[in-house]
Amino acid sequence: MKMRFSQLLISFAITLGLLLGLEIVTSTLLPAIGWKEYRLTFNVLIILFLAIRMDSPAVPWMILVLQIVHSIFSIEGWALGTFAGVIVMLSANYLKEILHLTTAFMTMLTVQLFQVIWYLTVTIIICLKISDFDKFGMIMGSFIPGSIMLSLISPILFWILQTIWRTPSDGGPRGVEI
Amino acid sequence: MKLINESSKTKIVNNVIVAMLSIYGISQKRFNLGEPTLFHQVVTEIVSPVQEGLADSKKSLSSLWENYILIVSTSKENIVLKKQISRLENDLTTMEEMRKENLRLKRLLNFSDEIANQKVLAQVVGWDSANEFKVIRLNKGSNHGIKVMSPVITDHGLVGYVYRVTENYSDVLTILDQNNRVDVVVERTRTHGIVEGVFNFKCTLKYVMRNEPVEVGDKLITAGVGGIYPKGIKVGMVTDIKRESFGMTLSIEVVPSVDFDKLEEVLVLIPAETTPVSQENKI
Repeated sequence: MKMRFSQLLISFAITLGLLLGLEIVTSTLLPAIGWKEYRLTFNVLIILFLAIRMDSPAVPWMILVLQIVHSIFSIEGWALGTFAGVIVMLSANYLKEILHLTTAFMTMLTVQLFQVIWYLTVTIIICLKISDFDKFGMIMGSFIPGSIMLSLISPILFWILQTIWRTPSDGGPRGVEI
Repeated sequence: MKLINESSKTKIVNNVIVAMLSIYGISQKRFNLGEPTLFHQVVTEIVSPVQEGLADSKKSLSSLWENYILIVSTSKENIVLKKQISRLENDLTTMEEMRKENLRLKRLLNFSDEIANQKVLAQVVGWDSANEFKVIRLNKGSNHGIKVMSPVITDHGLVGYVYRVTENYSDVLTILDQNNRVDVVVERTRTHGIVEGVFNFKCTLKYVMRNEPVEVGDKLITAGVGGIYPKGIKVGMVTDIKRESFGMTLSIEVVPSVDFDKLEEVLVLIPAETTPVSQENKI
């Protein structure tokens, strides 16, 4: 299946709006009700959807734009997540043939696997930046509770994104004709 | 047959360009000081009022959670009555919240008299959306006299310093963040060390030699070294000391004096050389 460029732009604009809303929930609404310790990093989940489900040369640029929007809400900045996103996308390309997100359980499992790759990449870079690999376990460990929660809600968010992007429900990637 | 078609070539080129861009971005990134771009400033000014509004509605959210959700589970006959009670409770909660807020502000203002710097009272409107960074967003910015590296405190102690500033909002790198290092002294023994954020809303005190007589319960205050924080602000308390059989320094766990779970209002200390703060924002 192919998608027109105009449709891609509309879907991407809606996705950006969704990210903005979810970032506000994570940075303000959840802390306001006492949820401060573990963040639900929805940008990771949206980028994972694009990396796993989309098959387009525009995906790395979309990851870049999503991360720039994310950087408004985090001092993490855009670069770290963009690099991790590209690594995840390349990994997903290699595993494309065996990835079929047909059930909620498979979606959760796949999302968890790719989150591990994401956070491994991010943790290594942070440790390199702060020149302190003693903190590797601590930083990696801090991601785990949030990542499990994200995996649990991933079928719902993937269903929403699937509707926005009109991807086929068989779980395979979709091409984009520009 | 071509092994790599045009589409694959485009994908590879795009991946390489974006990866190179991000590597450049990572190399330039400083986790202890931020310089907002024009895009960042504009979007922050647009989005942050929404965050501010949501932070303001905290009381209503709490009431909704505590009162409305409970009411749903009660019997249908009592719904009308319970809603009335809920409304009254809401009013009471709001009044109680206002009373507590007044008390907090009073304490903060009384405490602020002891500090010579100009101060700006600000409200916390958001937290960093990434797990690994402990940053809070305040509803005051450069228009109110706040500048980068201004220390942020409460009456309980040190919160952090201003990491980046837009016209009406500022982001504070708290002492819980691993990129924030605070030069401290142990109040009782005058031992110097560096407090760093770790995990689970705790910090660690580093570079304290094994032979130093530091004990659990010792209080830590800022040393005034480094040019960011004034001397003598409470930072935290020693809660655990591990004396390993190896190494030259102690492994010390510190609980911050500020309860970051309940952080709502803070004071930003304006360095003396800053341009005068407008009268309405000055404390």
